[in-house]
Amino acid sequence: MAFAVRSLRAGLRSCSRQPTVTRSIAPPRSIYARRTLSTTPARRADETKDRSPSEDSPVEKTAVQPNGPAADNAELRKSLKNDVVPNELQGLMAKHNPLKPSPSKSQRAAEARLLQTYEDQSDFTAEQKALFDDLEMEIDQLDAAISEATAVPKKMKKETFWGEDEEDPDMLVEDIDDEEPADDDIMSMAHGKLEEFREYREYARVAAWQMPLLSKLTRKFEPPTAEQCLRFRYTTYMGEEHPAASKVVVEFSPRDLPLNESQQLKLKKLLGARWNPETDIAKMSCEQFDHQAQNKRYLGDLVEKLVAQAKDKTDMFEDIPLDTRHHQIKVRPKFPKEWRLTEERMQKLEDVRQKSLLLDQAKEQGGQLVDGNERVDRFFAEPAMANLQIPERLNVKKSPRASR
Amino acid sequence: MATANCWRCLGRPSTQRLLAPSSLASFRAPTSVAAFTTSATLLAKDDNSFSMKGHIRSGKRLVLGKKKKGKTDRSKPPGPGERKAFRKRIQLSNDNALKVTGLPELEAQKLVDPAAVGQIVSLPSDLVDQLRTAEAFKPTQNWGLFRSPHMLVRKDTVDFLGDLTKRVGNKETVRTVIDGERSVGKSMLGLQTMAAGFMNKMVVINIPEAQDLVEARTDYSPIPRTTPEQFSHPTYILKLMQAIRSANEEILSKEIVKLEHIHLPVSVSRNSSLASLASATKEPEFAWPIFHALWQELLQPGRPPIMFTLDGLSHIMRISDYRSPSFNLIHSHDLALIRLFVEALGGKTYFPNGAAIVGVTTKGNSLKVKSMDKALEQAAADQAGLPIPERDAFYAKYDERVFEALKGVKVFDVKSISKLEARSLMEYWAASGVLRMRVDERTVSEKWTLAGNGVLGELERASLYVSRL
Repeated sequence: MAFAVRSLRAGLRSCSRQPTVTRSIAPPRSIYARRTLSTTPARRADETKDRSPSEDSPVEKTAVQPNGPAADNAELRKSLKNDVVPNELQGLMAKHNPLKPSPSKSQRAAEARLLQTYEDQSDFTAEQKALFDDLEMEIDQLDAAISEATAVPKKMKKETFWGEDEEDPDMLVEDIDDEEPADDDIMSMAHGKLEEFREYREYARVAAWQMPLLSKLTRKFEPPTAEQCLRFRYTTYMGEEHPAASKVVVEFSPRDLPLNESQQLKLKKLLGARWNPETDIAKMSCEQFDHQAQNKRYLGDLVEKLVAQAKDKTDMFEDIPLDTRHHQIKVRPKFPKEWRLTEERMQKLEDVRQKSLLLDQAKEQGGQLVDGNERVDRFFAEPAMANLQIPERLNVKKSPRASR
Repeated sequence: MATANCWRCLGRPSTQRLLAPSSLASFRAPTSVAAFTTSATLLAKDDNSFSMKGHIRSGKRLVLGKKKKGKTDRSKPPGPGERKAFRKRIQLSNDNALKVTGLPELEAQKLVDPAAVGQIVSLPSDLVDQLRTAEAFKPTQNWGLFRSPHMLVRKDTVDFLGDLTKRVGNKETVRTVIDGERSVGKSMLGLQTMAAGFMNKMVVINIPEAQDLVEARTDYSPIPRTTPEQFSHPTYILKLMQAIRSANEEILSKEIVKLEHIHLPVSVSRNSSLASLASATKEPEFAWPIFHALWQELLQPGRPPIMFTLDGLSHIMRISDYRSPSFNLIHSHDLALIRLFVEALGGKTYFPNGAAIVGVTTKGNSLKVKSMDKALEQAAADQAGLPIPERDAFYAKYDERVFEALKGVKVFDVKSISKLEARSLMEYWAASGVLRMRVDERTVSEKWTLAGNGVLGELERASLYVSRL
């Protein structure tokens, strides 16, 4: 019983140190209510709202102690005789979470007094006392360790250039064991492969169980009405910060706006290179403001201004030709419809081939088919002198000589 | 660390020396042994001749400070203009080719007869001479592969010339631009047009290469008393006039001078023929006035119709490379001869006897003249009854004079030939022994397809150029 009291005392002492600022490296994550699917980043509610009265209740409870310390003594004695750790002390122990400082000075003093009286009344042997001292020493060491861990970290010394004196908390020096790998374990690459498969399977599970649920969110397509002639495009980077996150793009066709022909033409001229003559769609974007809403508002105002200008009759820009030089219409050759091998076409081609075959046959039979090789061969096969014609003049000249 | 051993032989010199007999070692001249070297020792040359002079090198001889002399060509270089003459020579017959018999001779009627489409006809020698004088044959055409000049009467020929001869016969003025893809036979159609002109007794004037007139190749001189200042090509016009005279001598010698030509530097009597007027001078400086006088004479009523053709139309639709005395570039239309043609083509000149003014475009050697392209596009659309395409509003360099020159012309688009025409042409080639293969439907179809569905020049390339020298 005395043992229990001594240990309780030591525990209380370790807990009664000055309250330190609790450090938290990562803020405690509040669990959001699960939302179905949203492209807007989740935001926290205001902090004042978040603070619920239940958090403060333990402090309040300790503050409102029903009885004073003197009143407690009689009960305490009674319970000690029963050789049981009194309920109050148990309550105290429960209340004194070692990482939570005790609430107030007066309370701490009351606790100390309570323990002292308890100690005085009990009769310990020398052995027990020595044991208690050892325990106390151990607790002191533990205490020092805890206080060091929860203390405000030391700042890096400015004197050392590389900060060599500072311990590197990220470096795991002790955990790395240079021992040989155990024979019964697979290699780290295999572990990696297993991890990879686990990942695959995780996504497969998602695909099998969660993706089908997305179909519940489908909505029927409703074509935009005549009033909804502007089409805005926003971009989300899934909660990541991005310079273009606030960009808004608007697309519209001058045809859809409430303008007549000449006004539409003027609007196209005003739009310049933003108007695509192939699709007849104008496209403008804005990212000069920080928020999407601001950018969208700017674009909306701009379109309104353009429409107002297009309707302005003072100058209809009739002397300025519509400029489409900014857009090159790409001609993508397609397989001609006439070239498709339909049954009719096949028949036609077959007829043509048949006809040409017949023509060739007819020509061959008539000896009219011309073969270049054959012609050349025939020419060379003829006797060399066959084509030679003796000029008549030569004969004429020869004859008088012969007569002479 | 340097080793004591030689790197190459891995032998230890120390041991070798030790093993070598001491008597031999002592014979060695101490100077011949290199103390330490990494290069392999070379033996002296075996022959004991004393021819070795200078430094001996093992590898290639290093020559510094001198340029390497290749084998000098000691033959005489071609004289000035010889290379061009060889390049531009026109060979109209080849005795190595086989003679093709049984082909009809060209007549005026054949060129307009739809029944003659697909026939190969031979050119009569008189016509060949005339065409040659008028420089209708081109060095790019393959006349030199065949025994004698023959040509194919194609559908385009009949279509074009049928319309032309009919309208000229009605004393109308035909103003046409022959256009078409590259090597589709535009110049050949121009030649056939000239042949029709010669055979129909027209006075044929031909400018074979328009770029000769604008690229500052020939001399030019300002014509006095002209506003805006015009320029003539004295030598070129003199040659052209001689060509006109010799090509059309038969007609011109029958026509008699009607007008008074008192301002001419040479005396032309009233009763002399136009042929004598054309050959009145051999002085280049008098060429333009006399040519102009001849032109005026030809425009008189009662004369034979005129055929004026020009090849390479895009060259004359730009600013020429000639410069005026004030060193400004001269517009091509300010050159007198081109002006004459352009005014005739644009319809400014009135021809009482009918005329055919034909400009042939060229695609192989031509500039991109946007104004001409647009004007021809507009003319073609107008002819087809389609909406006329507008000019590009943002192109500032349109030449108004080009649009003026091509106002109201007809555009004749030369198409590719049909398989029937290709077959008769290939049969002629095979009969000449140039195309050494059996000409049946299969080979014709193959070559015709290879030639981009019957582009004539490509057909020649696909089948003839195997044997071209």
